[in-house]
Amino acid sequence: MTEQGKPVVLIAEDEQSVAEGYELWLGDQYETRLASDGQEALDIVDDTVDVVLLDRMMPERSGKEVLRIIREEGIDCRVAMVTAVEPDFDVIEMGFDAYITKPPERQELFDTIDQLLNRATVSDAFQTYYSLMARKGVIQTQKTDAELADNEDYQELLDRIETMRETVNDGLGDMESEIGFVSAVREVEGEMDSDDDTELDATDDSDLEGGTQ
Amino acid sequence: MNDPYDVSGVFPDGTLTELPAGTNVAIVGPSMIGKRKLALRLLAAGYETGDGILCITTDSAKTVCEDLEAYVDTLDRNRIGVVDTSGSDGQDLLDVTIETVSSPSDLTGISIGTSKLFKHFESRGISDIRYGLISVSTLLQYLDSQTVFQFLHVYTKRIGDTGGLGIYTLNNASHDPQVINTITGEFDALIELQEVESGDVEFRVRGLDQRATAWNTLPPADD
Repeated sequence: MTEQGKPVVLIAEDEQSVAEGYELWLGDQYETRLASDGQEALDIVDDTVDVVLLDRMMPERSGKEVLRIIREEGIDCRVAMVTAVEPDFDVIEMGFDAYITKPPERQELFDTIDQLLNRATVSDAFQTYYSLMARKGVIQTQKTDAELADNEDYQELLDRIETMRETVNDGLGDMESEIGFVSAVREVEGEMDSDDDTELDATDDSDLEGGTQ
Repeated sequence: MNDPYDVSGVFPDGTLTELPAGTNVAIVGPSMIGKRKLALRLLAAGYETGDGILCITTDSAKTVCEDLEAYVDTLDRNRIGVVDTSGSDGQDLLDVTIETVSSPSDLTGISIGTSKLFKHFESRGISDIRYGLISVSTLLQYLDSQTVFQFLHVYTKRIGDTGGLGIYTLNNASHDPQVINTITGEFDALIELQEVESGDVEFRVRGLDQRATAWNTLPPADD
């Protein structure tokens, strides 16, 4: 995301007319950047890029190679492979977050980008959801079920948990898709590597003091 | 959505006989009480009628298959898949489809292995799949509880969205109670095990949108 607030989509596509077609569709909603081969894609990509549409077959460096380097360098972006051939399982193993078959429908392109943007923002909600669940876990060790049933603050905590769970699940999207599932798990693992403050304030249940004592 | 998963014969008559598709159930209890055995029985309970078994194990695939054989007649390569995270090569099992992952901490590897085995089942027309994750306790030894929690959230959602049945084991004596509470919050139901003075093992079921059941004696498996 840039300062203007529009998500940034990098279009890495060697056929100029195709790339311009994508740009025409996406330009209103996203800030687009164009790369005409794999090396140029690597030169352009950085942490401000949210989604990369990476053509599988490109001169200089293939989509697979570009993805490998993006992952190795730990650049925080989601990568969709754009491919003319129906992909095999190797696309998932390579580490792509989604794939789009060529030529894409306009709506398919938007849906895929939106899903990847959602998944990128889910980590904050996930963090909050975990901390609420951890708080609930602590409270359950301190009070009986009967005490908690009458505790308004606890019931409110449950409501917040439910709301946050829905937010997380919306962000994750449909887990029926294998590539979506693997991508979501990779996101969880990536979060672990980048997050040092995993110890949350789970013991803070001060808002329950004086509840049903 | 798939039909419910039959678990009759595992628990006493009149207690738990089936679990809805998309349900995730954790078996919780102290060490050596039979969590793993119960999990394997639940996984095996639909095998003869055509369900697939997809087991993520922190033991070797060989060990799990040998133990599963107590509850099924013959293992059929097309209906059993193991994600082996023990670090063994798993090459000596001809009748089982195995995906090896170098360590239980490789969650992406586990998810890729699971997806591959799912596709393998799907291509053979098997849509009712019982997933085992044995054990969550081992994941907690390798990874911080937030990571395990988030992984389980994604993993249980995957099983929910694909209409599978998820069976998990968790040792509640080897982690802090608040960690157990937090982790178990991700499951639809818990089967709790406890040993009573007579030496019998008792179970009770919590979740599945009903009140906790009373403690009942768990009959030993006739193996």
